[in-house]
Amino acid sequence: MPNATEFLLRAQNADGGWGYRVGGTSYVEPTAAVLLVLSDPNARARGRDFLLALQRADGGWGIAALDPESGWMTAWAIRALADFPETRDAVARGAQWLLAIEGQRVTDPDARRIIRELHKIDSARGGWPWQRGDASWVHPTALALCALVAAGAHDPSTPLHSAQDARVREGAQYLFDRACPDGGWNIGNPWMLDKKIPATIQDTAIALLALRAAQVTRGEARVAKAIEYLRDAVARAQTPAELAWGIWALREWGLEIGDSLARLNALQRADGSWDGNPFITAIAMASQK
Amino acid sequence: MSHQSPISNLQSPISRRAFLRLALLTGIAAGAGVIYKATEPVGFDRWFRWMVRGNLARWFAPNARVALAACPSYDADVLGALRAAWQSAAMPELRGARVVIKPNLVDFVDGVPCFTHPRVAQAMIQLARELGARAIVVAEGTTFRRDVQAVLDATGYTDLLARERIAFVDLNYDDLVEVPLRGGYTRLKTLFVAQTIRDADVLISLPKMKTHHWTQISVSIKNFFGIVPGIKYGWPKNTLHFQGIPAVLAELADSLQTRACAVVDGIVGLEGDGPLFGNAVSSGVIVAGSDLLAVDATSARLMGFEPAQIDYLDFAAWAGIGAIDARKIEIAGESLARFQRTYERPPHMG
Repeated sequence: MPNATEFLLRAQNADGGWGYRVGGTSYVEPTAAVLLVLSDPNARARGRDFLLALQRADGGWGIAALDPESGWMTAWAIRALADFPETRDAVARGAQWLLAIEGQRVTDPDARRIIRELHKIDSARGGWPWQRGDASWVHPTALALCALVAAGAHDPSTPLHSAQDARVREGAQYLFDRACPDGGWNIGNPWMLDKKIPATIQDTAIALLALRAAQVTRGEARVAKAIEYLRDAVARAQTPAELAWGIWALREWGLEIGDSLARLNALQRADGSWDGNPFITAIAMASQK
Repeated sequence: MSHQSPISNLQSPISRRAFLRLALLTGIAAGAGVIYKATEPVGFDRWFRWMVRGNLARWFAPNARVALAACPSYDADVLGALRAAWQSAAMPELRGARVVIKPNLVDFVDGVPCFTHPRVAQAMIQLARELGARAIVVAEGTTFRRDVQAVLDATGYTDLLARERIAFVDLNYDDLVEVPLRGGYTRLKTLFVAQTIRDADVLISLPKMKTHHWTQISVSIKNFFGIVPGIKYGWPKNTLHFQGIPAVLAELADSLQTRACAVVDGIVGLEGDGPLFGNAVSSGVIVAGSDLLAVDATSARLMGFEPAQIDYLDFAAWAGIGAIDARKIEIAGESLARFQRTYERPPHMG
């Protein structure tokens, strides 16, 4: 997609990062997503340096330079930097931060029972939060799995490796627990009282990408059901973000995508972007691979 | 020469007056100790500041004004009704102002009126233009999904924004500014909010009138959860729930440095299992005002709730953020009784 590449090159900020819009604040998430798809060596080096400069003393990343605490975008930074051999130490420190973080577990039996009645979930299961002190949610958990698998592949010889494996397995169990009854995932509440909360394409896609990275197979019933949901939802999707995330996940699982890619590409703007947004453009490019 | 015997001195070592003084001082000290202990979680100084401000507001603040206008359906003259409500309420000057209109687009659930109807947003855009606003944007930061475009498409806002040629800002992904929280109601010292909100001259909360399973009702202040950025606080912005919902809502009502007012879509409200499910109720009313608490309290009465029994309203009114007492709220336009209904209560989850 040369046109999209040119858009991303134009959209890079002077500090080396990318924002959610051209000229907007550089954030860790869009910068990391762009680094996954961009091959220009100069732009990649500047993006890498932007991320390295934002790594905090505790090993994690905030959302941007203005953020005083590490949070969920640490996973994005690790995933992107894992593709750079020279960032081994930064990736290892980031992985250590991620391993030390988990969402609040509810261990009190009464509270656990009440939450099970409300949401039909096991609140004692450990995933990852958006930020320290929060409960676990599907999106940050899925991103953490992708990051830890990438960090492990980056350096399988480190002592971190076995700890990563254990947390990845635990994170996968968390995702299974939060699966929606009709297939797929939403933010992490499959039920509200007696009402089913529907899945969304983006949450389902990121969860399936994570489970694929964690080497879960289609033999797992909740994966099979999620794929079924996603194929159907992507066939009806209208927005660039939904199409891009959905196609990326389906292709990662080696599945047919019908005319979805053509529909996504029909939404590309004259400037080469999707929605004028470097992040969505990067995801759209990832879906083309 | 003393007339008291040595024995009587032994039996009454202090005088009656001194004893009463001592008892009074002991009582005051014990009372202060109880208050200090009871207010320890938030700090006595804060509690005292809120208490004083609340009492000053209750005794000396002028009455809030909330306007009601009849609008039987979305096919009726929504702009006319909105104009009437706006003119009857003491609303901010929009001439030359940068206006941000913040509807409630919590999500789309087929057949459930859980979001602000686009006809109300359209009327608000048109009225802001009439009143000479310099710039108008519609802005929202959805709570349950990251892709707002899907919600805009499903709710009819994509067509509305194109028709009215109005820009939309996704508050979940905007540039951010860190705002000091002056209330001290939570453990948070600051809150990140979207630059678009900070730069606005007037922020118009444009909520749906509905019930909510955590807060009983969701109107103009709960609608401000949408201005909190998802990229920082995640989806569904649960970090803020952990701070205590009444405290966070009080902070959102108190600490935004942008002048705010509210216009409530009560044409068709939502009862029962809100904010996403539940049933439609035809209330046929638009509510407007610039005291957000008074607007929410009036909306509560329109839905058949007693405002003082709603935690966030009770706390915020006690702290002096606004008025919920009916004697402190002047109803302009139509009468309250005309639109009062008894909405089905939400399931209790708090």
